[in-house]
Amino acid sequence: MTGRDGFTQVLRGELTKLVTVRSTVWCVLATIGLTVLLTTLATSVGSTNANEGPRFVDEFHFVHQPLTGDGTVTAHVVSQERSQEWAKAGIMIKAGAANGAPYAAIMVTPDHGVRLQSTFDTDISGNGGTVPRWLRLTRTGASVAGFESTDGNSWRQVGTVNVGALPASAEAGLFVSSPPKIETVKTNGGNETRGSATQGAAVFDNVSGTSLTPGRWTDDTVRPPGGDPLANEGRSAEEAGRFTVVGSGDVAGYGIASWQPPGNDDIVANSLGGVQVGLMAVVALGVLFGTSEFKTGTIRTTFAASPRRTRVLVAKALVLGGSVFLAGLFASVIAFLIGQRNMRRHGYEPPAYPYVSLTDGPALRAIIGSALFLAVLAVFSLGIGTIRRRTVGAIVVVLALVVVPQILAPVMSLNAEVWINRLTPVAGLAIQRTTERFDDAIAPWAGLAVLAAYAAVAFGFALWQLRKRDA
Amino acid sequence: MTRSVHAEWTKLRTVSSTAWTALSLVAATVAVGALAMAGLGTVEGADTVRYSVSGVLLGQVAAVVLAVLTVTPEYETAMIRTTLAADPRRGRVLAAKAATVTAVVLGCGALGMLGSLAAGRFILPGQGLPAPSLVDGPTLRAYSGTVLYFGLIALLSIGLAMVIRHTGSSITVVLSVLYVLPIAATLVTDPVWRERILKYSPMTAGLAIQNTLNLDALPIRPWPGLGVLAAYAGVAVVAGAVLFRTRDA
Repeated sequence: MTGRDGFTQVLRGELTKLVTVRSTVWCVLATIGLTVLLTTLATSVGSTNANEGPRFVDEFHFVHQPLTGDGTVTAHVVSQERSQEWAKAGIMIKAGAANGAPYAAIMVTPDHGVRLQSTFDTDISGNGGTVPRWLRLTRTGASVAGFESTDGNSWRQVGTVNVGALPASAEAGLFVSSPPKIETVKTNGGNETRGSATQGAAVFDNVSGTSLTPGRWTDDTVRPPGGDPLANEGRSAEEAGRFTVVGSGDVAGYGIASWQPPGNDDIVANSLGGVQVGLMAVVALGVLFGTSEFKTGTIRTTFAASPRRTRVLVAKALVLGGSVFLAGLFASVIAFLIGQRNMRRHGYEPPAYPYVSLTDGPALRAIIGSALFLAVLAVFSLGIGTIRRRTVGAIVVVLALVVVPQILAPVMSLNAEVWINRLTPVAGLAIQRTTERFDDAIAPWAGLAVLAAYAAVAFGFALWQLRKRDA
Repeated sequence: MTRSVHAEWTKLRTVSSTAWTALSLVAATVAVGALAMAGLGTVEGADTVRYSVSGVLLGQVAAVVLAVLTVTPEYETAMIRTTLAADPRRGRVLAAKAATVTAVVLGCGALGMLGSLAAGRFILPGQGLPAPSLVDGPTLRAYSGTVLYFGLIALLSIGLAMVIRHTGSSITVVLSVLYVLPIAATLVTDPVWRERILKYSPMTAGLAIQNTLNLDALPIRPWPGLGVLAAYAGVAVVAGAVLFRTRDA
């Protein structure tokens, strides 16, 4: 049998304090209520028309000639400029040089290895690495096989794609593209996302293939009708079988990794946005749980019953963290389900926004992560509350670290904003992100680790002070 | 009334937290404003005046704390009974409290704005931007309006604290009222609703007074915006006064 001051008793004592005090119970309920309510409100008025926007982009420079019937095209990509991480240089077989015509292409990219892509919806990864690289496409009817090689002798098949509407006489040749660079610009009204055209360039040699005739090449810059300010005119030059091709734009659509869709909302993070409001109640709860015993003098009774102070504070943290985690998990799941349902009704549907279910890896990480975020934040607040022993000071300190940075970020410079999102406890919210964006300040788990570091330091300091100071 | 004000002033003056919060208000306002101005080089078409007075975004926390601390600790220590024994007319007590705190916060806000003005005249020309000058009408409106904003925040805090009568809860609630709605606005993807939230939430509406450029593009124009905040503060003070008269202390 355990003694009266066993750890289980201490835990039970702290749990009793949590569930029998009206204000702490209110805080837990407020966390759940605010989280669910805000998500419900925010997602019931938001809408998207991303699915009415374009579903593919077909912009590149094409150096081609007819390929009749089945056949093969081979080329050696000697070099490629790193104009954009998703710049593409390779060979393509396309129904024609018209915008939107079906195609199959194998390409090398600066940062994403070799890719076999087709018809704006299929994307097969080859080996990593970059130029120089040998590439080959072999057409058999509607099916096109892609191969890569580092030396031009031993070939590895990347995959086979089916290009349904490929006519008997298709166009085959070299292509280069380079998607626009997206960046955030600070303006008076807030942050604006802007694209600017980039220009890719690549050098090819050893271009050969069935029925390809040297000197009969046609140059075409493929463009949507009306052009696109984010894609420049391309060009090419040939000198003794060595081609330099310059192109701009992208060849992509839903299902291809480089596609920049018209809508880029993170529907999982959006449905968990209520957590940013629910956290106010968690901060109040954590601080009150730490300070109220000092204020009322109960802490002396607590220490009389259990003189080991470290154990008392650890028990407090476990009870608080555990309760907040469970409440946060409950709130996140409900918010996620309501949020997803609301968003589906407002146009967040495939292909722009594939349905996300509760059990999908990233969604699960975001949901459990949101509960962890709240639990760690509660422990951080408990630590600050125990250090300061005064409710006011502690609440102000925590809110100044957790909420105010988000308010200040808009008037700070772009660099300062990035560092605010990396170094303040706000970084923990990165755990809710499920889509990668060019302007992500910090990775999901790294962000949560930043918050955990704050909590660990505060909690450690609180433990140290608790042992040294009179209660 | 003079005696009530004098009593409130004595209570306010002799608590160490007052000096700290007052100092924090001025320091936070000037510091954040200076930081915002230092980053202006990369902002396109910036309303430099608005950035120079943006320190209020942090400075208002101190105003809230200062104001709440004149109300709730009196309930926690039961000092309020002594106060009411000395002056049983509750309306007068509340008026004296509100007048004293608001005057102090207005004074601190004015100091913060003068500090921001000095910082702006020092920082902005260095970046090739015009230095703020109070001779310019819109600039004067932004600076004096921000001082008024501080005062309204103090009134809002006193009113809500009178209703809640608990320090921790009052500060959490007031800061939530101020900060949560603007954060919520960023979560709403619908532009119409986002604008509505910005138009009617106390902080963003009140801070419309800080704008000097493109006033037509704002969710709400400067003075009507400050009016929205004044309405919130008025409702809070009236609610606090009614409850103060009807509840036991």
